[in-house]
Amino acid sequence: MIDGLDNSGSLPVMQRVVQFAARRHSIIADNVANVSTPGFRPVDVSVEDFEAALGDAIQQRRDSGHQQFGSLDVSSTTSIQFDQDAVHLEPQPIGDNILFQDGNDRSLERLMQDLVENFLTYRTAVELMNNQFDMLDVAIRERI
Amino acid sequence: MLFGALDISSSGLVAQRQRLTAIAGNIANIETLVNAEGEYAPYRRRIPVFTTGDPSTGSDQGVHLSNILIDEGPLQMRYEPDSPWANDQGYVGYPDISLVIEQMNAMEASRAYEANITVAEATKSMYSIALEILT
Repeated sequence: MIDGLDNSGSLPVMQRVVQFAARRHSIIADNVANVSTPGFRPVDVSVEDFEAALGDAIQQRRDSGHQQFGSLDVSSTTSIQFDQDAVHLEPQPIGDNILFQDGNDRSLERLMQDLVENFLTYRTAVELMNNQFDMLDVAIRERI
Repeated sequence: MLFGALDISSSGLVAQRQRLTAIAGNIANIETLVNAEGEYAPYRRRIPVFTTGDPSTGSDQGVHLSNILIDEGPLQMRYEPDSPWANDQGYVGYPDISLVIEQMNAMEASRAYEANITVAEATKSMYSIALEILT
């Protein structure tokens, strides 16, 4: 890693978002695959917790005097662990309901909404990363 | 990470397809009275049971068909005194398969199959989006 080149600006933020969205995608895929499994409880991680942890880390970097430069130190929460170059999720059962005896609420609509939202988050993060890389490319070549 | 998502969706597809196969077998054998040896053995409804986890990849995510239960419930009795399999009262036990229930299960299975396809499509798009970083 070249300091200041690939760990400045929004790149580390986008990296975390992509890591998180990729992991969460597996969880959503698991929920969809088990939509007719008896006794299966759908699981998920809190996106709000992730956003809060990331927001705190950005604020911390801002306050440290480096402004928008330097790497991002995201502190782990109970269900989201931030490693050096990976994000690990420990999903918790969601959707307490009384409609089905086994607790699986079989809400395919909600799952599809989660899927699309997560997918668009992933895509947005990669697009923004691409813009950053394009800018870097322009800077390296010194012409537009 | 992301590669696992395709395995999960595939396991869902396989499980739902197997479930649909079991349903097709139930509907096909709705009037089956004798077995291959020609003995009286009314067909018993097969009930596929899903469990989480995928043995083919060793992952605890995903789904697989873990068991096929056989419906040992009472047969559907029809009054056919001339039948060679009629009991003392002249009734013949037929498989107790309800077309409505089978049809409904088949619909649910095919919808769940489609849902897994949708997720797999999303996963594929995510792969190609990730590849855009390289270009």
